[in-house]
Amino acid sequence: MASSSSTAVATATETTTERRGIPGAQFVEDVETYLNQSGLDVNSALSFLQERLQQYKLVEMKLLAQQRDLQAKIPDIEKCLDVVATLQAKKGTGEPLIADFEVSEGIYSQARIEDAESVCLWLGANVMLEYSCEEANDLLQKNLDNAKASLEVLVADLLFLRDQVTITQVTIARVYNWDVHQKRRMREAVTAEKDS
Amino acid sequence: MQQGGGSDKEVTWEDQQNINNFGRLNNRLHELEDEIKIAKETNDNLEDASNELILTDEEVVRFQIGEVFAHVPRDEVETRIEQMKEVTSKNMEKLDEEKEFVVAQMAKLKKILYGKFGDSINLEEN
Repeated sequence: MASSSSTAVATATETTTERRGIPGAQFVEDVETYLNQSGLDVNSALSFLQERLQQYKLVEMKLLAQQRDLQAKIPDIEKCLDVVATLQAKKGTGEPLIADFEVSEGIYSQARIEDAESVCLWLGANVMLEYSCEEANDLLQKNLDNAKASLEVLVADLLFLRDQVTITQVTIARVYNWDVHQKRRMREAVTAEKDS
Repeated sequence: MQQGGGSDKEVTWEDQQNINNFGRLNNRLHELEDEIKIAKETNDNLEDASNELILTDEEVVRFQIGEVFAHVPRDEVETRIEQMKEVTSKNMEKLDEEKEFVVAQMAKLKKILYGKFGDSINLEEN
C-alpha cells in the first residue's frame, strides 16, 4: 500500500519516464532538494542538464528530417492514386487517354494510353511490379494510410520531445538562478558579519 | 530586494505545464503560418489557371495529372479546377480558424505566466 501511494505521488510530479527511446526530463520541485538528492554541485548539475539538452536537440533534428521525408512522400502517393483513378475512369469509355510526358528536361512527347488493364508501380530498390488497376489502387491506398499513420506518431514524438526540452531549459535557468541567489546570500552574510 | 537574476519564485508543475503548452502553441502557430502561406499560393495559382481557361479558345487543355499533362476537354478541366478551389478554400478556412484559436490560447497563457513571473520570464518572439 505504502509503495503504491508513493508512486502515485511520484507520477503527479514527474512526466512519463520515456517515450520510444527518448528519456523523459525529470521535473524539479525544489532546486535545493534536487541538488542534495543527486549529490551534484551546481556546475556538475548544469553540465549534466546541458548535455541532456544537446542529446534532445540531436534527436529532434533526426525526427524533423523523418517528418520532412514523410511530408514529401504523401503528396507523391496522392498523385499516383489520381493517375490510377483517371486511367480506371477512361477504361470504360473506349477513348484513349492522350498525355504529354517529359522525355528529358524540357522535351515532351505524346503518349496514347488505351484501355489500361494494368499499371506498373515503382517499389523502390530498382524494382517495378505490374499490378491491375484495382490492385494498384489498394496498394497505393495502403501506403498512403501507413504514411499518414507514421506521420501522426512522429508528430506526437516531436511534441513529447519539445516538452522535455522546455522542462530541461527551465530547470537549467532555475538551477542557475538558485546559485546566483545562494552566492548573493552568502556575500550578504559575510558583509553582515564584518559590520557586526 | 530582488534583482532579475535571483528570482525567488518557485516553479510548480502547473507552471511548467503552462510553459510547455505555450511552447507547443508557439510552434503550432509558426507551422500554421507556413501552411496558410502555401494554401494561399495554391489558391492564387488555381485562380490564375481558371482565368487562363476562360481566355483560351482551345477545346482540349493539357491538364497535369501526376507527372504528365493529359489532354482533357475544357469543360472537364473547368469542373476539376472548381473542385480543387473548393478543397483549398475549405482548407484555408480551417487553418485560419485554428490560428485564431491558437493565438487566443497563447494570450491567455501569457497573462497567467506574466502574472506570476513578471520580468523573470520572456514569452516574446526574438
